[in-house]
Amino acid sequence: MSGGERKKRSGDRGHGWEEAGAEFYQESYPAAAIEADLQQALQRDPSHIATLLPSKKSRVATTTKRVRHEPRTTLRRRTSTRSRYATNTVRRMSTNIQDAAVSMLPDLSENLSNEERTWEEIMQIKAMPVCMAQKIQLKNQLQSATKLRLQGFDQLKWQRRKAWQTFRVRAKEAYSKLELWSTSLKRIGGNLGMGIVAYFLFIKWILFLNLGLFVIVLVFLILPTILLDVPRNETCISINDTNTICCPELYWNKSQDFQTFMNFFQGNNLFEYSLLFYGAYSSSTYINREGNFRYNLPLAYVSVMSTIFIASFVAIIRSAVKGFRERVVEGEGQFYRYCNLVFGGWDYCVNNEKASEMKHKALYTEIKVSLESERFEEERQNRTREEKFKLCMIRIFVNVLVLLILCSCGIFIFYIIRFSFDRAYSEGKAMDQPSSNDMTIDTIDQIFFEFLPYISIVLLNIIVPVLFRHLISLENYSPPFVIRLNLFRTIFLRLASLAVLLSSFYIRIVKDVDEDECTSSLRPLCWETFVGQQFLKLYLTDLIGHFFMTFFINFPRSFIGKHSESKFLRYVGQQEFDLSKHVLDIVYLQTICWLGTFFVPFLPLFAIIGSFVLFYIKKFACLVNCKPSNNIYRASRAHSLFMLILLVCYVLISIPIGYSIVKVSPSKACGPLKGLDTSWSLIVATFSQLPIWLRSVLSFLSTAGFGVPAFLALTLLLYYYYAVSMANKNMVAVLKNQLVLEGHDKQFLLNRLSAFIKQQQEQTKYHQDHNDFT
Amino acid sequence: MGAGKSQFTEEELQDYQDLTYFTKKEVLYAHQKFKALAPEKVGHNRNAKLPMSKILQYPELRVNPFGDRICKVFSSSQDGDCTFEDFLDMMSVFSDAAPKAVKAEHAFRIFDFDGDDMLGIGDLRQVVDRLTGSQRLNEGDMQQLIQYLLEEADLDDDGSLSFAEFEHIIEKSSDFSKTFRIHL
Repeated sequence: MSGGERKKRSGDRGHGWEEAGAEFYQESYPAAAIEADLQQALQRDPSHIATLLPSKKSRVATTTKRVRHEPRTTLRRRTSTRSRYATNTVRRMSTNIQDAAVSMLPDLSENLSNEERTWEEIMQIKAMPVCMAQKIQLKNQLQSATKLRLQGFDQLKWQRRKAWQTFRVRAKEAYSKLELWSTSLKRIGGNLGMGIVAYFLFIKWILFLNLGLFVIVLVFLILPTILLDVPRNETCISINDTNTICCPELYWNKSQDFQTFMNFFQGNNLFEYSLLFYGAYSSSTYINREGNFRYNLPLAYVSVMSTIFIASFVAIIRSAVKGFRERVVEGEGQFYRYCNLVFGGWDYCVNNEKASEMKHKALYTEIKVSLESERFEEERQNRTREEKFKLCMIRIFVNVLVLLILCSCGIFIFYIIRFSFDRAYSEGKAMDQPSSNDMTIDTIDQIFFEFLPYISIVLLNIIVPVLFRHLISLENYSPPFVIRLNLFRTIFLRLASLAVLLSSFYIRIVKDVDEDECTSSLRPLCWETFVGQQFLKLYLTDLIGHFFMTFFINFPRSFIGKHSESKFLRYVGQQEFDLSKHVLDIVYLQTICWLGTFFVPFLPLFAIIGSFVLFYIKKFACLVNCKPSNNIYRASRAHSLFMLILLVCYVLISIPIGYSIVKVSPSKACGPLKGLDTSWSLIVATFSQLPIWLRSVLSFLSTAGFGVPAFLALTLLLYYYYAVSMANKNMVAVLKNQLVLEGHDKQFLLNRLSAFIKQQQEQTKYHQDHNDFT
Repeated sequence: MGAGKSQFTEEELQDYQDLTYFTKKEVLYAHQKFKALAPEKVGHNRNAKLPMSKILQYPELRVNPFGDRICKVFSSSQDGDCTFEDFLDMMSVFSDAAPKAVKAEHAFRIFDFDGDDMLGIGDLRQVVDRLTGSQRLNEGDMQQLIQYLLEEADLDDDGSLSFAEFEHIIEKSSDFSKTFRIHL
């Protein structure tokens, strides 16, 4: 009897609890379905209650089964989709409660949705993980539902949105047709994965950058020079006049008829007077007959060149920032190393057996290496003092050796340049214009000497990195560090050779020229054109070097490697696609392009062609010559690394360029800037012609009165953002901790709850048995 | 293209364009690819149901360690056999235009072998095993790896990854959205 009473009470309690539970769930979740589920699950297994939590449930609602079973759920799901994707998906869990609340509202809201809303919803169906038949059904359902018509302005706005959407689809379609190299990229991705594809996308990026630069040059410099009939400069009366006015005449009259086929390769004479080079641009201002249109060519020249530099800077920064943002979102990227590896490891675009085999192997080694590096870390801490000392000595020794190699390369290039310039140019003058169509040994000889410095630079760039790669294996660094260190050593090699080249130009050019002379003994009459020719030669030699290396050396090598039995030959022949080297190749070419553009306005055009050709050369190199690499190149990391290297090169070469603009005097015989002290003085002169108010504003900007407060404000702003980011970081840590604690709490409560339920079930059962018994 | 066009009405194409991340042209192109898997069958009935073994002949799926899982997740009959519409859904999710959240949702289902809406230790084990292919990690390494994985991602410490936790990782991994795509 008492048992019966207790049973009733406990039943009451149970009922009460269920009511409370139902209420609780009603707040967060539609009732009926949950109730049934709960009962079912409890009867089956009390410990299964964890799967009924709202946070878990939200996904169950999205799976196909449920949607198919109950049409009611589809409606609910739809409303939830709307608000979920309107807000951010990250906040998915928190928005679920609101979604459910929305879905609890009477059907009034469903009927109230207007055309635009319906349309939006239709657009969002595609994000739902249900099969097509259901999607179509949903769409029809949405379309046939009664809805408000939009009135007036809203209607217009919606129409415009729809039109914009259609336009975007059209544009995308058109763009995908125009898209360069998409099949090539797909093939490369299928064979080598997305990391390598990122490299090829980088080449494409460079191509488009150069395209943009060339368009600027073409529109503002080359076309005006061709189309506008710019007056010739002051004519000079007699060539032998000592006045510098006659320098241009002297220059233009010099060896005009010296034009042969071979000169094409030399890059001088035939093209010396063409618009390819600095020398041919006019130094005067175009004024049309009515006098209302002026085009100041020297100013245009300088502005175009500065625009090019600023534009490339902006482009690099924009692209680098995109990568950087991703890095920041990734946050403590290395803390997710294993998740990244496991969940993002497979390249889904890999499409042939061999590549997938390699991918499996690469993933296996990567996992192994990551696990081992953790042990390596321990081992490093346990190294004995003697070992540490030995390793330290080896590293110092290698670094000294690397420095020595770099220096000797520099010296070697310096002397080669001096030697060959002396031979090529002084002899050329001494020969005193041989008859034009004679291909004597002398001319070939001369061409050889002209190209000798560039050939040796390219050869050094090929040989020395191999040396570095072998040296670094002595040093026993961790693998990622090896790649980076090698990269930076090679950058220094390449930049050092460029620096030596520049300084040997500098020695020839920067000599005090007397007031009334056109040029000094060593200095060419038009040194800008001379320098431009050298850069063009370097660019072409480098490009041809890549072509030659890929098709005539590496291709036979890989052929031997694939078909030979001997172990040694196989070792010689097998090549991996060493990403860092290939990145440097393209960055180096781009660096030359930036350096030379001031002297060769057409160089971006060469760079466009160059990167186009290089794409195919590299494609051949990676698809035919190389086997897939054992290293995993991360697509996301790779891009920001490329940009970083490009940025480093850009900053470094902006130093000599800035110096040459401010300090070096342009030649007197040719070019838009002739007769000026420095290029900078043109800018000063332009500045003095500005209206007074603008001038005073600008000069105020350059005073300390403006500079110091501005600097302080910037510093404050920087500090503010730093502080905010630190606070955010702190907050993230706190929230993460809280999340873990919540998790523990939940676990604890769930355990208690299931224990309680179990106990109750047993009790009921016991009473039931008891009652039956009595 | 012309032959493909005749198989679909303009209305159907509009539906497909609205309901996937593809344009009409891409839908037709996808159909060509689908047809290439079984020319006679699809030529006969454009929405024919192809068995999983046929679908797995698609080059990217053939070498993918999760190929069968992908088929099962996208199959409307849940047994891995796919109609053209299922195939289209699949390619749409793997396309460049699909947002990360959609990709994450499907990736979770692909990795969830036992279908309990959680990535438990067994699921993770299978994922790793399929990734490394013919070579197997030894037991110690495997346990350590799974321990690291859970340490990184399992925020509530219950020994398995819920969808929210999985999405959280994906949000932070820029590799995932770069690699989780198949070009048509």
